[in-house]
Amino acid sequence: MNDSSTVQFGAVTVVLLLVLFYGGTFWISRGIRKKKENADEYMTAGNKIGFGVSAASMTATWIWASSMYASAASGYQYGISGPIHYGLWGALMILFIYPFGRRIRTVAPRAHSIAEVMHARHGRSSQLMLAGSNVVGSVISLMSNYIAGGVLISMLSPFTFIQGVVIVAAGVLLYTLWSGFRASVLTDFIQVMAMLGAVAVIVPFIFFAAGFPAAFETGAGNLTPPQGNFFSSEAFLGQGAPYIAAVLAYAIGNQTIAQRLFAVREDLIKPTFITATVGYGAMVIGVGMLGVLALYLGFEPSGGDVNNIIPEMAASYLPGILLALFFIMIIGALSSTSDSDLAALSSIMMADIYGQNIAGKEKANPTTMLFVGRATMVAASAIAVAFASLQLNILDLLVFVGALWGALVFPVLASLYWGRVTNRAFTVSVIVALVTFIPVRFELIPLVGPVGLLVDILSAVGIAVVLGLMSFGFFGLRVARIVAAVAFLVSAPFVIGFLHDYATLSASLVAYAVSTLVCIAMSFRQKDDFDFSLIRKRTGDFDESDDDPQQPSAADDSLHLSRASRDGAEATDDRKDS
Amino acid sequence: MSISTLALTAYVLVWPALVAVVMAVIGQAFFKEWKEARDSGQDIV
Repeated sequence: MNDSSTVQFGAVTVVLLLVLFYGGTFWISRGIRKKKENADEYMTAGNKIGFGVSAASMTATWIWASSMYASAASGYQYGISGPIHYGLWGALMILFIYPFGRRIRTVAPRAHSIAEVMHARHGRSSQLMLAGSNVVGSVISLMSNYIAGGVLISMLSPFTFIQGVVIVAAGVLLYTLWSGFRASVLTDFIQVMAMLGAVAVIVPFIFFAAGFPAAFETGAGNLTPPQGNFFSSEAFLGQGAPYIAAVLAYAIGNQTIAQRLFAVREDLIKPTFITATVGYGAMVIGVGMLGVLALYLGFEPSGGDVNNIIPEMAASYLPGILLALFFIMIIGALSSTSDSDLAALSSIMMADIYGQNIAGKEKANPTTMLFVGRATMVAASAIAVAFASLQLNILDLLVFVGALWGALVFPVLASLYWGRVTNRAFTVSVIVALVTFIPVRFELIPLVGPVGLLVDILSAVGIAVVLGLMSFGFFGLRVARIVAAVAFLVSAPFVIGFLHDYATLSASLVAYAVSTLVCIAMSFRQKDDFDFSLIRKRTGDFDESDDDPQQPSAADDSLHLSRASRDGAEATDDRKDS
Repeated sequence: MSISTLALTAYVLVWPALVAVVMAVIGQAFFKEWKEARDSGQDIV
């Protein structure tokens, strides 16, 4: 890893940069530190953060080190449309989940996690499925970011990979431990400013330093015809389409996003999501352009590893001061996501495990909750460092978590709108979807003949589900049904007999399709209709100290959810079947 | 310089420009909130 040609900083310089970054973030977090933190604010900052902080935090959280590396790799592999097929779809998913975010905040304005909302809606098994998937997902995300930090530090300094991993983990824990989510969102602002500023300067600098725009003409021969075609179907099928299916699942299932949804002031959800959409897209696509430039230049990353494209392009063309800025950009990206994962893990253990399942909502002790949250952060950091030091291949784990979230998307969203969905329908549909997903994804059975045909038909249904859900959020059920039907009819002739060759994409779509079909089949004949106003009653603050409840918004009033009516409501509680 | 080269140049450089705009929007909003919080004696988060 410590190839002499790529070591750019001495130990003192790297230590100074890390002290500057982590010392600065720690100093910022100390500014909001309270001797006795409020347990709810530790998880959601009191549901009242403003636009600037929330937009910065949403953007910073959605961008992790892998986003930048993968976008550049996509540009290098698929050519000029590659970064679009990574960054644009990821960005649009933030926008597409906005209407669902509004709905979640309306039915559960003071919840701490979507798993907590599912507990209020259904009961324990649905909640633990979501909470469990988030714990696994966040630990993997932590591990991935620590690995990226270790690789970067070992590549650009004399420090070893393990030393880099430990430095990053300790630095993130240092500023996040005491104030939790509050520290995470505040430091996100500084981190996203560093990231955005770096991209705004570094990409144009490398562009001109590497001899562009002339290199577009001299290096055109390095591109294959599909790589030079902006409308390459290869890029869409290999990168864009699987990513659309995956990020919709990540956006809905990931607690780091949900936590910010519950934290932002309700009237600021829309501008926050729009700004994060543009910010994420511009930044990730911008960094991905380095992969396109590398392709035109005929650049060969060390060992053929496309993850080396960004650091090696930076090391090749940037002067020392900008290389330091690049270093801070990557450290900022991986730290902002890591602190979000720590905050997400702590809130799940505080609210979903301790608050809802061990102590019970009414008996939960806020001081114990804070202890649980901080102990979770320390334990999660230790586990992530241990796994990171093993340098495991995390791809299969990420795929599994992505599929789990994919299987959860329809049952979760249907549970927020359709009163007939039961806990049993939720649980069974997710399990059946996973059981179907695994043999398709890992090709445990040959995808030929009738099996291949069935997979293709389910994939067409999956496409209809994904597009239908996206339409439903903005335009309602009627338009969603039309879009889903058209999507199925249009895609089926192209998909059937063909798509099963793309196992990753097929498996994700099958997970969407099966969970949707089973959930609908099991819910359709239910006669009981859930009273959604019960969710608000069953979720809420654990810690009444230093409480600053928000006034109900106009949207809340429109749902007629006054406390009197809630308390008097005789509603169906499908938790009975859990 | 050909039109396709110009188009590719614009295609690559538009993203950092957009990033700078987002940076300005978020930065302006943050400092407004920070000032309001400071004036009212509260933490920004």
